[in-house]
Amino acid sequence: MEPKNVSLEMRDYIAEMGAETINWCMQCGLCTNLCPWRLVPGETSDGFNIRHMQRLGQMGMEGFEEETILFACSTCSMCQSNCPRGVKIVDNVRGMRASIVGGGMAPAHLRPILGSAHANGNPWAGPREKRTVWQEGLDIPQFGPETEYFLFVCCHSCYDPRSTKIARSIAALLRHAGVSFGVIGAEESCCGESMRKMGDEELFLKLAESNIELYNGKGVQKIITTSPHCLWTFKNEYPELGGEWEVIHYTALLSQLQEEGKLPLAKSLAKKTAFHDPCYLGRHSEIYDAPRQLLSSALQADPVELGRARELSLCCAGGGGRIWAEVPMGERFGELRIKDALNVGAEVLATSCPYCLNMLTDACKSLDQQDSLEILELSEILAGALEEGQ
Amino acid sequence: MAEALNGNRSILVVGGGITGLSAALEAAETGFPVYLVEKEAYLGGRVARMNKYFPKLCPPNCGLEINFRRLKNNPLIQTYTMTEVEKVEGEEGNFEVTLRTSPRYVNEKCTACGLCEAAATTEVPDPFNYGLKQVKAAHLPHEFAFPLRYVLTPEVLGTAEAEQIKAACPYDAIDLDMEARQMTVSVAAIIWATGWRPYEAEKIAYYGFGKQQNVITNVMLERLAAANGPTAGKIRRPSDGGEVKRLAFIQCAGSRDENHLPYCSGVCCLASLKQTTYLLEQDPEAHATIFYIDIRALGRYEAFFTKVQADERVTLIKGKAGEISEDPQTGMVTVQVEDQATGKILRDQFDLVVLAAGMVPNSPTVSVHNTQVAHDESGFMLTSQAVSGIIGAGCVKQPVDVATCVQDATAAALKAIQSTCRR
Repeated sequence: MEPKNVSLEMRDYIAEMGAETINWCMQCGLCTNLCPWRLVPGETSDGFNIRHMQRLGQMGMEGFEEETILFACSTCSMCQSNCPRGVKIVDNVRGMRASIVGGGMAPAHLRPILGSAHANGNPWAGPREKRTVWQEGLDIPQFGPETEYFLFVCCHSCYDPRSTKIARSIAALLRHAGVSFGVIGAEESCCGESMRKMGDEELFLKLAESNIELYNGKGVQKIITTSPHCLWTFKNEYPELGGEWEVIHYTALLSQLQEEGKLPLAKSLAKKTAFHDPCYLGRHSEIYDAPRQLLSSALQADPVELGRARELSLCCAGGGGRIWAEVPMGERFGELRIKDALNVGAEVLATSCPYCLNMLTDACKSLDQQDSLEILELSEILAGALEEGQ
Repeated sequence: MAEALNGNRSILVVGGGITGLSAALEAAETGFPVYLVEKEAYLGGRVARMNKYFPKLCPPNCGLEINFRRLKNNPLIQTYTMTEVEKVEGEEGNFEVTLRTSPRYVNEKCTACGLCEAAATTEVPDPFNYGLKQVKAAHLPHEFAFPLRYVLTPEVLGTAEAEQIKAACPYDAIDLDMEARQMTVSVAAIIWATGWRPYEAEKIAYYGFGKQQNVITNVMLERLAAANGPTAGKIRRPSDGGEVKRLAFIQCAGSRDENHLPYCSGVCCLASLKQTTYLLEQDPEAHATIFYIDIRALGRYEAFFTKVQADERVTLIKGKAGEISEDPQTGMVTVQVEDQATGKILRDQFDLVVLAAGMVPNSPTVSVHNTQVAHDESGFMLTSQAVSGIIGAGCVKQPVDVATCVQDATAAALKAIQSTCRR
């Protein structure tokens, strides 16, 4: 084994880039054991050990910067939520990535993503003016001085054809419940949540500042997000940059409206349905009951719970930039999730995050289970229940 | 002389576990009248449910018996079981305490003959054995219960079964109309010795306690190992009663964890080390593994630690275990851990996994003239109280072993005696 050098300068730099709690770790290893990577075999699983990676960071030692190590974490927060010392592990991953990406050393497969977000304001290589294509035929209102809520649609649901159905469903539900909402449109930029998790601080700042200037200029006070990722960054990262709004995920708002009797739904879906908790809605934002309550009201039977549910939910592997990672079959968390759903006899696996929808749909296809299990976003099920109820 | 200074020489001891018993005896044997109140139907508390003490590995029942004899022989102690403190008024030297006694439905005529139990059909989980077995609706709290008197669970009241139970008693000891009673006592000081309870291990979701049968807590293992326990002292797998050849202990199940108990519970390392000896004595071919963050064996307990450590049938692995999963077919439980000595991820199978669950204080819940009896953010009672004459003792103050509790009880008795003669 070749000797490695401890670098206090490197350690301090990593801490400065965001890994502020890296020295709180007492090396118990709970994080490594609760990590979803332990559930799959393969090179990344063998190489990536979150406790060890942070230990290298603590000592400023090289060895963490390899792509299969530094960029393996999907920031699911299973470790962070359970850490006995309250170490902000996700921030430490971000800080360690930033120490490398900040020096211009982003991994090759992430460069086009970061580049597109720089150039187009979205990571999906879509032209800015196409951001509003999902609205076609819907007559979605523009946000104005009289509008209560600004509806921020995740880039994924603006550009990915399958995902646009989420945006369309949510708009229909809001309209049905009589919510005053509007969109801004092509000037909107990606929230930057994933860009920051990938370690591109500069890009995140650029996107956040552009959004803050735009929204504040339009007089935005309240925001509905379609994705739990946008929710999380608006709520937790934007305020210190000057973006202070009341931010709510669509599931939380719709469940409030339902309680007020403004969203009557028909129990129309007869299929056995399970709910997959997205990490950024569940562990990161602690919203577990709202989506279940909504789902129940659209199902003929009660939803079934997956073996790993709520605070123990298994990540789809789409967070932290992992949605852009190439992962061999057999090593994808999403495939385990499909098996979880099949194990409880589900015919529909519902979720409430565009990344989860994307990852779970892919996993279902790669396991060739499309005929047994349908992957749906909660908003699609709810919108379906609306139509029948009318 | 104290009477000349202060009219009230009596002391109230709240909690009839080892700490409360010791404090009551120390004060009474010095000549001070004591009211000893206990929430459960029997005295002895957590200690009565233990198999052996560390490090001597002797049975707690022996010491409890001696204490019960001292208590029986001392006319200055009045004992009230199933009794809790409802209200405290007054001040040091002159407290008026309202006590509430829940109905036992069995009066002092009981001879513990057991005919009521034979007449009962309803079964309820046995709290004394942490639900590891069922007991009849009329039952003796446990074999060596003191006072030796049956108790009837309220679940059967108003049923034909209750009448049958009553009819079965030849001594007219079953009183189905018994009601809760209140009484007031005047005391100079209150020793608060309400002890502890095990941390609710089901809150550590990733360990699956409560969902997996062969994952139990350390207090449950004490019952499995105890001769008067549900398995007559044989450590068996709860799922199928099968043999336990490979036993694992998960340390810090709740303790030293900001999401659960932010403090070290102090005794769990020694308890697990002790419990390995139970299994190895039962089966010399068996093997025990302890997964730990740090082994904390303070003072002279270090010798006990090194002795157990030297046994080649005991493996100690530094690392906090992650998910624990039980195979529904075989009942074997897989524990995954990162060995901090090697950095390797280990996955090993065990017949039984014991969570070394931490200690949670039974915090004082009363206030005196709107001043709440003070405790820290974890619920441990503070040594210094705004109201003088209220004295904490034992595990309600800090997580400690039995020997320390007894010492603390003696100190508390002295402080209470001072309250009887302090102006």
